[in-house]
Amino acid sequence: MAGETLPPMPPERLIELNDVAVHFSLREGLVRAVNGVSYHVNKGEVLGVVGESGSGKSVTVRSIMRLQPKTALDAGGAIRFRLPDGSVTELNRLPRDGREIRSIRGRHIGMVFQEPMTALSPVHSIGTQIARTYQLHTGASKEAARNRAIDLLARVQMPRPREMVDVYPHQLSGGMRQRAMIALALTCEPSLLIADEPTTALDVTTEAQILDLLRSLQAEFGMAIIFITHNFGVVADIADRVAVMYLGRVAETGTVDQIFYHPKHPYTRALLQSIPRLGQKRVHRLKTIPGMVPDPFNIPAGCVFHPRCEHAVAGRCDVAEPASRTFDGGQIARCHLADSLPELVS
Amino acid sequence: MTALADDTLISVRGLKKHFPIQKGWLQRVVGHVKAVDDVSFDIKRGETFGLVGESGSGKSTVARLILRAYTLTAGEILFRQPDGSNLDISTLREAELRPIREQMQMIFQDPYSSLNPRMTLLDLIGEPLIIHGRGSQGEIRDRVQELLTLVGLRPEYVSRYPHAFSGGQRQRIGIARALALNPSFIAADEAVSALDVSVAAQNINLLQDLQEKFGLTYLFITHDLSMVEHISNRIGVMYVGRLVEVAPTEALFAKPLHPYTEALLSAVPEPDPRARHARKRVALKGEIADPANAPSGCAFHPRCAYATDRCKAEVPELRDMGQGRKVRCHHADGLSLTGVIPA
Repeated sequence: MAGETLPPMPPERLIELNDVAVHFSLREGLVRAVNGVSYHVNKGEVLGVVGESGSGKSVTVRSIMRLQPKTALDAGGAIRFRLPDGSVTELNRLPRDGREIRSIRGRHIGMVFQEPMTALSPVHSIGTQIARTYQLHTGASKEAARNRAIDLLARVQMPRPREMVDVYPHQLSGGMRQRAMIALALTCEPSLLIADEPTTALDVTTEAQILDLLRSLQAEFGMAIIFITHNFGVVADIADRVAVMYLGRVAETGTVDQIFYHPKHPYTRALLQSIPRLGQKRVHRLKTIPGMVPDPFNIPAGCVFHPRCEHAVAGRCDVAEPASRTFDGGQIARCHLADSLPELVS
Repeated sequence: MTALADDTLISVRGLKKHFPIQKGWLQRVVGHVKAVDDVSFDIKRGETFGLVGESGSGKSTVARLILRAYTLTAGEILFRQPDGSNLDISTLREAELRPIREQMQMIFQDPYSSLNPRMTLLDLIGEPLIIHGRGSQGEIRDRVQELLTLVGLRPEYVSRYPHAFSGGQRQRIGIARALALNPSFIAADEAVSALDVSVAAQNINLLQDLQEKFGLTYLFITHDLSMVEHISNRIGVMYVGRLVEVAPTEALFAKPLHPYTEALLSAVPEPDPRARHARKRVALKGEIADPANAPSGCAFHPRCAYATDRCKAEVPELRDMGQGRKVRCHHADGLSLTGVIPA
């Protein structure tokens, strides 16, 4: 799909993905890791992206940053991003290490990774890493950049920021490292922050601290966040809207209330039922999704979820791939049966 | 050595493990990491005892001590034998431990690094059978196929290698291997933490089915509180090497007695967007203490909202509070803490 044919983005829209596809050509065959993903984020909004491993949630956001592995093929679709001056660029058309994307990456779009130990440089102090980023994008003096680093470390509630500015990542605990990573991502006050499983490796109490921090920083800086996680609890805590991904596609998107209380896709419903909840009367067995995520070389025909779906209709779901359908309130689901599913009893 | 209650399978008393910190080329011992410090609890026959705590709290070390993968610094581990007698296994030598090892097994967290990639499922699951001399080659093959069926894998898979399986299936291979010798006790260390939700649910159900079928006793270690609530009969909460609270599951979640338990419960993100504002979160200041340099008195006092001078000076004892509850807090009687309000 060529970018020209898309309708213009509404003014409140920050980023919009239309039918994005990313494929990998391997010896064993072609892997369609991302196969027609569409979602959008408005200014100042938090989009939670959930899905199991292999659903393509990380590959999708990496293609927003143009940080895919070299072997990734841009196989179609458009990623449009609105710059602060109001103009719109098509990120997917920019060369992966060209000047334009480098002036956006780190400046207008920041990213926080799951494992700060591998994402931060082990041989530079955290202050240096923040200061260099700031100098690169703003041309500030060394002195000003160092002060900026101290200020940011204070804003991510790092204790004693004046001392911490000179420590190296290995000297920090997991939670503190993640704070440093967030400070780095916010250096240039980006309008979009991409957070790829930022709390998955942390303990619950630290996770709660980081989620609180992200929420208060979001209120302070007003940036939008794409928050990737596989934890529905975290999504319920931080997201305004949710996209549920399965096998390189978006199964369903909607507001958090729509997704949690009126899910329209059987996959969303099954996932929500398979998690144990605190304080719930002890049920004898957890509800499971039969089978497992198919391997990427043998994607099922028709609806990719049909072999595991309890509602699948033979002759329909295994034949035709369902199109995205929009429902009341902007909820979108990719399921033939979305409006005929029985009400959820919870 | 005191006697075990009739329904107790394992009793851990005053368990300690201090790892030396060595420095310089002489490897002088300059201090100790008190990974496990004075931990005592009982596990009843046929129950699931959950052990929760943050990373570095010593929960995995406890499991490894019970299985005698580490040597103890101090303490007793009483383990009931099939004939009903009880045996302190904490001082047994390696050769004496061998018959005991058949009865206790472990399931590991990472199904990728805990299975040798060069061994077929027959070798992997058959290995404990060979070591303990359980039958001929043909018998072992039959037993491995039976075990595969038991964990929901196809018996034809015996000659495949682990790389051909997904994370959830590999975890099942680990479970089959743990079951090979018909143990009475299994320690599952973060057994489903690395798995996706739908697969984790399948494996949890499998573990419960196997428990029913064989009367297994589990020590279930995890940092996932909703999972531990689902699977455990009783729960122990650890903080910096010490057990701070032990209670039956429902009681612990309804009304925690230790301030750390309260904070831990309130930190769990609930999959319910409407609860976002309804719930009051007990924010914990700072980070978990370093077990090499634990705070004086109660190790939780620098982060505790209820701490007094006494907490800084005096290490609280694990006190019996009745109804199967124990807590290690000076102020447990006077506090009224909030648990999880049922949805």
